[in-house]
Amino acid sequence: MNTHHATTHAAAAPLLELRGVSVSFDGFWALNDLNLRLVPGELRAVIGPNGAGKTTFLDVITGKVRPTKGEVLFRGRSLVGIAEHRIARLGIGRKFQTPRVIQNLTVRRNLELAVKGSHDPLTLLFGRLSHPQRQRVQELLAVVGLEAHVAQQAGSLSHGQKQWLEIAMLLAQDPELLLVDEPVAGLSDEETELTGKLLRSLAGDHTVLVIEHDMEFIRELHAPVTVLHEGHVLCEGSMDAVQSDPRVIEVYLGTETEGEFQP
Amino acid sequence: MPDLFSGRSLRRALPWLLIVIAALVLPVVLPPFRLNLLGRFLSLGIVALGIDLIWGFTGLLSLGQGIFFALGGYALGMHLQLSSLAPGELPEFFGLYGVKALPAFWQPFTSPLFTLLCIWVLPALVAGVLGYLVFRNRIKGVYFSILTQAALLVFFNFFNGQQKLINGTNGLKTDTARLLGELVGSDAMQRNLFWLTVLLAVGSYLLCRWLTRGRFGDALIAIRDDEPRLRFTGYNTTVYKTLVFAVAGAMAGVSGALYTVQSGIVSPQYMAVPFSIEMVIWVAVGGRGTLIGAVLGAVLINYAKSLVSEALPETWLFIQGGLFLLVVTALPDGLVGWWRSGGPGRISAMFSAPPAVATYPDLELDPAVQAERAKLEGGAQ
Repeated sequence: MNTHHATTHAAAAPLLELRGVSVSFDGFWALNDLNLRLVPGELRAVIGPNGAGKTTFLDVITGKVRPTKGEVLFRGRSLVGIAEHRIARLGIGRKFQTPRVIQNLTVRRNLELAVKGSHDPLTLLFGRLSHPQRQRVQELLAVVGLEAHVAQQAGSLSHGQKQWLEIAMLLAQDPELLLVDEPVAGLSDEETELTGKLLRSLAGDHTVLVIEHDMEFIRELHAPVTVLHEGHVLCEGSMDAVQSDPRVIEVYLGTETEGEFQP
Repeated sequence: MPDLFSGRSLRRALPWLLIVIAALVLPVVLPPFRLNLLGRFLSLGIVALGIDLIWGFTGLLSLGQGIFFALGGYALGMHLQLSSLAPGELPEFFGLYGVKALPAFWQPFTSPLFTLLCIWVLPALVAGVLGYLVFRNRIKGVYFSILTQAALLVFFNFFNGQQKLINGTNGLKTDTARLLGELVGSDAMQRNLFWLTVLLAVGSYLLCRWLTRGRFGDALIAIRDDEPRLRFTGYNTTVYKTLVFAVAGAMAGVSGALYTVQSGIVSPQYMAVPFSIEMVIWVAVGGRGTLIGAVLGAVLINYAKSLVSEALPETWLFIQGGLFLLVVTALPDGLVGWWRSGGPGRISAMFSAPPAVATYPDLELDPAVQAERAKLEGGAQ
């Protein structure tokens, strides 16, 4: 049902737009004339074989890597050359490929660091968390089911719990755009299903971009799919359309044999 | 025996108890010479606290704290050189180099108030500027350490070579100067300085504790553990690192000033490379990220150094190196970390009867299984 989103939203002003973005690492083009539009409220999946440039693509949006050529626009404003923390404050949250939580802090303190509000040193020193901020932390603990682990060091959580804690930290920032890199890597089937539900429920209020290897998971998202290959958008469309596209089949079967992908 | 150490609160409180007792009893029982040593070592505890703040909590290993330490020392040293002069007189050493007029930058140090500010503001500023340039360029880890050491060498060589400005290698003596009408080197003055050191050490400790306890401290730990994560969460980590580096610089300045008046001299030797490395060793041995461990490490190691050096002058460097190796290999959290995690109980257990176990010794006493269990219970990491 969501397969029409790409077309129905096409007329709306994009939240995020990449125009002809190229990134060169010492002559190797990790991204090559990449064009992509995300409209507000959209849920989009990005797939592609290893080395297709998926992570570099996120690095470019979040300010970690500066594009060699091209333009990245967020709400019509260029993000090129803006520091990571400012881009984050503009409303772009990122979840990393491997769960990145602060190991030596408790679950609650991880969330309290991430919760939306001023992140200036003076605020952290002299200010206290406001009531809404505390409530938000409590809410998020419930959303990801970590209430029983609030006082536990994040480093001692299970892999799945860490993934969820990081997603909760992302939500705590209340970003408009969520960039989620491999959210279900290493999760059990049940956890994967719950993560999929969570991401689907976020779309609408948020714009969500998911990068994944797990094709079954992508299918369950019922979202339009963008296929990256050699730093370029190979094709876009519904999962079924993409899977039957001969170019995609060639890329996946021709360049590497990924067992998960069965067109 | 194990019961004596098992109480968690006792384990936490004992170092404090020792310190309070030491602070109350030692000034009464120690001869002036020993008390003066203790005061000097305690003042070194303040620079160690700063190192714990930037290294133990924030993950910035600075090998250049001697810069800020010496700046604080020189600021006070210069004031003391000037404070006991008759109008129109110059500090004695200037005569040796044919300097006829007081260099301009000496002038403000006639003011006690300016000096008091300068002792901590100047090192904080230098640390802030140096830190900002380094952190803004995302220099970290071992490159940061090397850079701070290089900066230390620059300062060391500069101060060494400036006879006409600050008496070069010879440094500035403070013993014969007068402060508030009293000879700085006198027993009475030294006793007052000891109390001042205690006061400032406690103050510095409380400041560090306040900085590290709340969300600000959490942010520092987050910078140490995963700085990019924090940056993508919307934190300008450069500001945090610069700020905390400047605070550590200010503490080093205070420490250097107190050390100077209790040692009777400030010289470029305070910026020698080995001295700044030793500061790091005190913190490592005492316990990184524990604050109190930094102070204990500084006092204990320096006391050991002076005792060993009196008895067997040749052996100290080997002992110090051995201590560092021991900490790196066996006690990663230092003495205080080992103490808090029940280390003494483990030692006493080695010499007593094996404890009664509910299941099998293989399971209950196997360190791997124990570690796993501790991890599950959230005690690890």
